[in-house]
Amino acid sequence: MSELPSPIRQDFRNAKRLEWWTLGWMSTVVVIMYLTMGASQAMKTAFFEDILGLIPAITFLVSAHLEPRAPTRKFPFGYLRANSLAFFASAVVLCFMGIYLIWTNGTGLMKAEHPTIPPVTFFGETFWLGWLMIAALAYSIVPPVILGRLKQPIARRLRDKVLFTDSLMQKADWQTGAAGIAGIAGIALGLWWADSLAALLIAIGILKDGIDATRSASAELVDGAPRRLEGNGLSEEAVRLQDRLEKHWPDGTVRIRESGRYLFATVDGVVTPGDIPSNEELMGDDPTWRLGRLSFTPPGKQEPGSGW
Amino acid sequence: MITSRPSDLFIVTAACAVLSACSLPRDPSGTQDRVERSGTLRLGIVEGASIDPPSRQTLARLTERTGARPEIVRGDSEALLTQLKRGKLDLVYGEFAQSSPWSKEVHFSTAQGAVGKVPKGVPAPRFAAMNGENGWIMAVGEASR
Repeated sequence: MSELPSPIRQDFRNAKRLEWWTLGWMSTVVVIMYLTMGASQAMKTAFFEDILGLIPAITFLVSAHLEPRAPTRKFPFGYLRANSLAFFASAVVLCFMGIYLIWTNGTGLMKAEHPTIPPVTFFGETFWLGWLMIAALAYSIVPPVILGRLKQPIARRLRDKVLFTDSLMQKADWQTGAAGIAGIAGIALGLWWADSLAALLIAIGILKDGIDATRSASAELVDGAPRRLEGNGLSEEAVRLQDRLEKHWPDGTVRIRESGRYLFATVDGVVTPGDIPSNEELMGDDPTWRLGRLSFTPPGKQEPGSGW
Repeated sequence: MITSRPSDLFIVTAACAVLSACSLPRDPSGTQDRVERSGTLRLGIVEGASIDPPSRQTLARLTERTGARPEIVRGDSEALLTQLKRGKLDLVYGEFAQSSPWSKEVHFSTAQGAVGKVPKGVPAPRFAAMNGENGWIMAVGEASR
């Protein structure tokens, strides 16, 4: 299966376009944040989060480039799992960045470091850099909120975990901006700890996102049962498919795993039947393209670890 | 699921406007308040440094604005900057490079009277203030224009 199924081709094109938009728009945010961040920890943390926010978009575009490629001699099963690998990579990066930021901000808070935000002079006018930081943070809220909302329905239709995680992170990005603004406003009011505390809260949020995504990505890479897009629960679609397969072949052992956006089902202990029901019948009301492969293993030929 | 509304942005913008209207930023250790209330600006001058005309002008603007009279203490930069860090001085004047290890411990103002950017490793006449005293640092910055 080298080509994308026709029902999702348009959504796939739209997703790619949105991710290019994300790279362009979020790059402007990153540049503005870099130019204004000064010594504020909350600003630095929000800046890192915005850079991290580019990773899911980049990994999506890389995997989207690889996924439709035809299988080769070295990759005889094609590149369907490029998406899974991309998801895992971005989840791990998110975790490490969360830990690093919690450490730097936590120690900053314990050392009672007083952040200095100096004045700046533009066109002969001197004003506090903190006001410029607040304006930059307010701007940083706008693109992710819009892009996150646009991506979510497409990610659901594509069953794309990278795109979905990206959309969730972006939708929640306004919290990062608001926490950063609260931190700078705290400094303006003479509350030295407000900045580090805001940064610490942002960092905890980053780590939580990372842990959730890593759990889900790991499950997919070790051939765990397909998970839902949101959270770590089992996919309802996969459970329904399992029920239908078990009804058709009650003597077999049905196992389903996820490869990228597709469900790969195996019925163990059953000789390949001559008459296999159509995908429409097996998938019921769920999208038929989701069933990427159905294979049968005759009795005595099960692979190691296939017993329950 | 958390969602945002256009009113969130409005609140943020309004908050910024209100904050700019007040006398902000404030100092966590209250340097500017103390200088204004006591009428004394505790100024450390690094031994051997003479206050050049642009720095004199900055100091004049600052004393005019705060209504404070400078109380000068002379000493080596190490001792003076340590006192500044501990809040025993309000300002230290001397020739400092922006790349000095002290730049993490205290805040150095822009080079006084310099046209264009002074390279980080080159010592230049500057005022040093306690880190985080953003209101006071702002006042020094405005006086340096």
